[in-house]
Amino acid sequence: MQTPLCSLTECPFGAEDCPLCAEVQRLQGECERLRELSHTDALTGLFNRRYLMAALDQEKERTRRTGLPTSLIMIDLDHFKRINDTYGHQAGDEALKWATHLWRKSLRRIDILCRYGGEEFAVILPGTRLNAAVRAAKRLQAAMEKAPMALLGRVVPLTASFGVDTYVHTEELTSRAFIKRTDQYLLEAKIKGRNQVCCRKPEKSKQSMEVTVDERSVLYGGLILPVKGKARKK
Amino acid sequence: MAEISRHNSFKPVMACLSSGKGGVGKTSLTVNLAFALAQKGLRVLVVDGDLGLANVDVLLGLQVKTSIHDILDRDADPMEVVVYVEPRLGILPASSGVPDLAKLGPEDHQQLGSILLPIAQNFDFVLVDTAAGIGSSVLWFNTFVDYNILVLTPDPTAMTDAYALIKVLSRDYRRQTFHLLLNQVKNEAEARQVYDHLARVASHFLNLHLEYLGAVPQDASVSKGVRHQKPFIKIAPQSKAAMAIMSHAERLRGWAAQKAASRKTAGEAGG
Repeated sequence: MQTPLCSLTECPFGAEDCPLCAEVQRLQGECERLRELSHTDALTGLFNRRYLMAALDQEKERTRRTGLPTSLIMIDLDHFKRINDTYGHQAGDEALKWATHLWRKSLRRIDILCRYGGEEFAVILPGTRLNAAVRAAKRLQAAMEKAPMALLGRVVPLTASFGVDTYVHTEELTSRAFIKRTDQYLLEAKIKGRNQVCCRKPEKSKQSMEVTVDERSVLYGGLILPVKGKARKK
Repeated sequence: MAEISRHNSFKPVMACLSSGKGGVGKTSLTVNLAFALAQKGLRVLVVDGDLGLANVDVLLGLQVKTSIHDILDRDADPMEVVVYVEPRLGILPASSGVPDLAKLGPEDHQQLGSILLPIAQNFDFVLVDTAAGIGSSVLWFNTFVDYNILVLTPDPTAMTDAYALIKVLSRDYRRQTFHLLLNQVKNEAEARQVYDHLARVASHFLNLHLEYLGAVPQDASVSKGVRHQKPFIKIAPQSKAAMAIMSHAERLRGWAAQKAASRKTAGEAGG
């Protein structure tokens, strides 16, 4: 909350007639509008890249404090250049607006959808585990399939590729590195033929944490292992 | 997991009793070991580490008015929350049925650590009775203390769960020494057999050496103690289980003596 430069209640001329108060009010409104503009993408109305970086820093900090993971989806519209080349740039802009409109409806209110640049987008999913984020990405993909885009009276098939990754509180990782890591899964989705969701492979360490069949066999005495000698004695 | 800044001032020996599986007698053994240590002249604090579903107070028939919950959320004075059941034995109770406390994050654990350390300084030995399972608070308590004691009964599920906890703590949290405390065994031979199996798996798959702390035999006085909400070493001091507890408490007292000796040496070297 900002302290007003001119206190309207204490103005000797009366707030209504004071030109200075009017100017202060106008400037405050202008500041608010510029603040809004500084983190908004003009075409789609989504948050822009600058806001993405700040929001990602903040969510990672929340993860470090609460232990709840932060997930990230990087999205790229498939063969977008073709739309621009075939139907013109205005049609390309329409396509961007159409896709973001669909995605907005498929995300939760706490998710942060941003235009990363060109036809690339990012969604921050606060407090979300990898499998839930993958489900969200699949919802975004399905939303595009269910509602095909109409351009200049023609149905134009438009799809997207999705890369999904999750940041957990034990990791040391900058926001930039987190985006880069997620981008690799997006790249994987592109290489595999587009219009699909690729993600970080489910926790390798978790799999190895499970008590394996071999370990169980020895535990219950069914399997005799060669004596390896004491590993470490305190 | 949040690192706790260690105070330079006096710090007692801290040990954690965990099991992976529930219902193996963790709380009962913790409470009885605490009474035994106090009987041997040590000042002992029992921390009920089952933060959301406490039961140390139930086992002792205590009427608890405030708990760790009040320290964390209402800035209650930690020293006033500690309930003394004997002049040398304090209990830091937790709350029952508080889901929030069952899911603490790294920052909460850091706060919990900064609350526990000053309280602990008034004692020679701190025993933490953790919750069952491998939840974040169980893991945190196990990294916070000096000694990790794994309680298990000689059945495959208890063995598997204890091993799973050892595996997580050694691989993800770099804990290297684990002391096994067998409960409800028929005899020493059965306890040794269970220990041998676990030790062999830990050595082969995790490259870890497990320590054998001891065993507590099946004994009717244990369940009698639970029913009467009194420690069995008090109501049946001559029972097999009570004798076993006294002997294991002696081992634990050795840990405290060891720490005191190393502190003295360090003090002499420093001064």
